[in-house]
Parts: sequence; C-alpha cells; structure tokens
Amino acid sequence: MLVGISLENKFTNTSKPKDCAEEMSALLMEVAAERCKRSYAKVFGYFAPRLRSYALKQMGNEALAMELVQDTMTNVWQKAHLFNSEKGSPSTWIFTIARNIRFDMLRKLQNRKEDICSDDLWPVLCEQTPDQNEVSLDQQVTLQQVGQLFNKLPDKQKAVIEAIYIDGKSQQEVADQLTIPLGTVKSRTRLALQRLKDMLEDHD
Amino acid sequence: MINYHPTDKQLRQFAEGNISSALALVAAAHCDVCSKCQAKVDDVNLELASDIENIKAHTFSDPAFDKMLASITQLPVLDAPVQKSPRIELDGRFFDVPRPLQRFVKKTGNWSKLLGKVWQAPVDLGEAGMAHFIYMEKGGRVPEHTHRGTEFTLVVNGEFSDGLADYDSGDLIVMDDEHIHSPHSNADDGCLVFSIVDKPLHFTSGIARLLNPFSHLFFK
Ligand SMILES: [Zn+2]
Repeated sequence: MLVGISLENKFTNTSKPKDCAEEMSALLMEVAAERCKRSYAKVFGYFAPRLRSYALKQMGNEALAMELVQDTMTNVWQKAHLFNSEKGSPSTWIFTIARNIRFDMLRKLQNRKEDICSDDLWPVLCEQTPDQNEVSLDQQVTLQQVGQLFNKLPDKQKAVIEAIYIDGKSQQEVADQLTIPLGTVKSRTRLALQRLKDMLEDHD
Repeated sequence: MINYHPTDKQLRQFAEGNISSALALVAAAHCDVCSKCQAKVDDVNLELASDIENIKAHTFSDPAFDKMLASITQLPVLDAPVQKSPRIELDGRFFDVPRPLQRFVKKTGNWSKLLGKVWQAPVDLGEAGMAHFIYMEKGGRVPEHTHRGTEFTLVVNGEFSDGLADYDSGDLIVMDDEHIHSPHSNADDGCLVFSIVDKPLHFTSGIARLLNPFSHLFFK
C-alpha cells in the first residue's frame, strides 16, 4: 500500500542537527501547503521511532507508547499549518505536542476529573491571534518587482497569492472559493511569501 | 514589576509536563506575562526536544509504523480554533486575563461579597482545586489565615501586600502551612488575583476564627 515510501531514516547519522531541522522544516511546510504525503512520510520516518522511544520511557507500556506516537503524529499531519519555523525547530514543536498529549493521557488514565487541559497550559496547537504569524514582505518590495519571480511559484500557491494580493480577497473568501481549509490557505500564503523572499534574497 | 517567579525547578517540571494541574495553570499564566520565565521554559523545551532527536532510532522499517502512517494520511486537515480573549467583568470594570486563564472566564460564577471590601467569584476547575478570582477594593483585606494545603495566587491586575511582601501584576505566590498572611490592597484601583487552594484556609486571628468551621463554604 505504501510501496515506495521507505521508513528508513537517512538522517540518523549523516546530518547535523541544524541541517536536519532545516530539512524537516521545509518538509513540514510542504505538508501544510500541499498535503504532501511523501514529505509527511519523511517527517514520520524521522520522528515516529524517536517518539516511540521517548514514549516508552514515559509511559512504560508499548500500547500506550504507540498511542502517544499515533496521536502526536496525527496532530502533525492535521495541523502542520500551525508549525511556524520562526518560533522554533520542528523537533521542539513535535516534542511539545507529545508532551501535551502525554499530560492529557495521564490524567485520563488516572480518571481525574480535572477541567484543566494541555491546550490551556501550552498553546502549541492554537492560532495565536488571526494572521499574527504571517510572513510579511518588506515594505519597499512591491508586487511588481516580484512579478517575474511570482511566475516561478507552484500553481496552487500562485492561485492563493493572486486571489489575496491582486484580487484583494480575504483568506476566508479564498478558502471558500477553492473549497480548501482556511489553514491551508494560510500556510500556502506563508510558504509562497517565504519562497518569494528567498528568491529575492538570491536575486541581489 | 514582576518580582515573584516560579522556581527554576517548577519551570522545568512545567516544561516536562510533570506537574500538578493547579500549579501548571498559574505557572502558565505567569509565563504568559513574564518573558524571563517563558525564555527559561523555551530553553528546557529545546533541551528535551534535542534529547528526543538524539535517540538512536531503529532504521529498519516496521509494519506497525507503515499501518499508522497510512491511517494518519487519510485524515483531513483541521483548522485550529481562533482564541477569543474574554475578559473578567466586575461592576462595569473589565480586566484582561493571561491567555491560559481565558477559557475559565466563562466558567466563573457570580461575584459575591466575601467580607468588607473583598469580592470573590468561584471558578470551576473540576477536581484540580478550588479556584477563585478575588478582588480587593482599595482598603479591602482578607482576614489573617494560614493554609491547610497549598495556595497558589497569581496577581492578575493591581498591587497588594500581605504583611510578608508587596506584590504586583504577574507575580506568582505559593503559600502553605508555614505562612500566615493577611492580603490587603491599598492601590487606588484595588487588585484582582486568581487563586487556587487544594484545602480550605484556616483563619488565625480575632473574630475571623469563627469562620473556620465554615471556611469550606467561603473557599469552595
Ligand atoms: Zn517569571
């Protein structure tokens, strides 16, 4: 069923942590913007076995450990658009998700009826305030200047950027028009702007 | 200015998630307004995350992981709820509260007069502890008391003193049976605090001692 997607982990010994963080970061952004299963499989291949070791130590039980891995990696897939590389590395983001899930799991196991959950304590998986984590282009750079670079963007990102910056639509309107989740519009916008920024920097 | 912070040990336990819910809540609320402590928590997160990265993971493929991967990638994307910022209202005055406490604003009951110029509103935390927002008007005072358990107080807005020290917005105060104090505010705008106790208070002076048999009624 998943022929061609190898879980073999090419990062284990070869890459330096920083290179790895950059690579994982780029992969997560692809997952957020394009729902790219291939990119996700690489993130999964790197983190799932490590999370299992962490979870085994924390939970002391293989079944619970695998539940923790599954819940954590499910969040990574479903909420990849909430990852923001400016705020921290992928491993920190994924650790904090796992820590939160473990916190809630332990209270559920102890059958404690406490009305305090990890989302209250560590807002890892909440939108902070709308659009706060957008990448913004430097003011002196106009859309005209980036026009030629704009054409190099993947079609899906181009469509979102066009609708927002040329047609002046809101992100919600774009989401409705393309029938995709708002989070996907946001992450495509962020990814596209980041790419344009990178291209501009290479340009000078 | 914030002078009373969680200890480094408490911040580490908070980052690890190995902490009681009650302390975690006030620590989270403190970190929301104290960038110094938030930076310490971020450092511990970084350290714990690199521990995970440094784990020597198996490189062979595992059928359980193949199955998990396949089932996860069939799931839809989820939009996170955008957090609103509800505020505490008392007598037409509105108070902003730290983000971790915001969900509890709508779980806050009605304000009632505790004593003199002290008002309180209960907050439902389930079994995590007995919590209240407490507001001391200028000149308001909670009778001297000690604690049968532990009392966590976060100063939400304003200043107060308790005979042991002076506190300001953002301060986190942990009291137990070794402390006797009598919180009071002389600030013009009074003081709003959020407090959690795991056991009822024990009043120590004067006529307030008569409250002891009923203290579970006041602080529950
Ligand atoms: Zn602090």
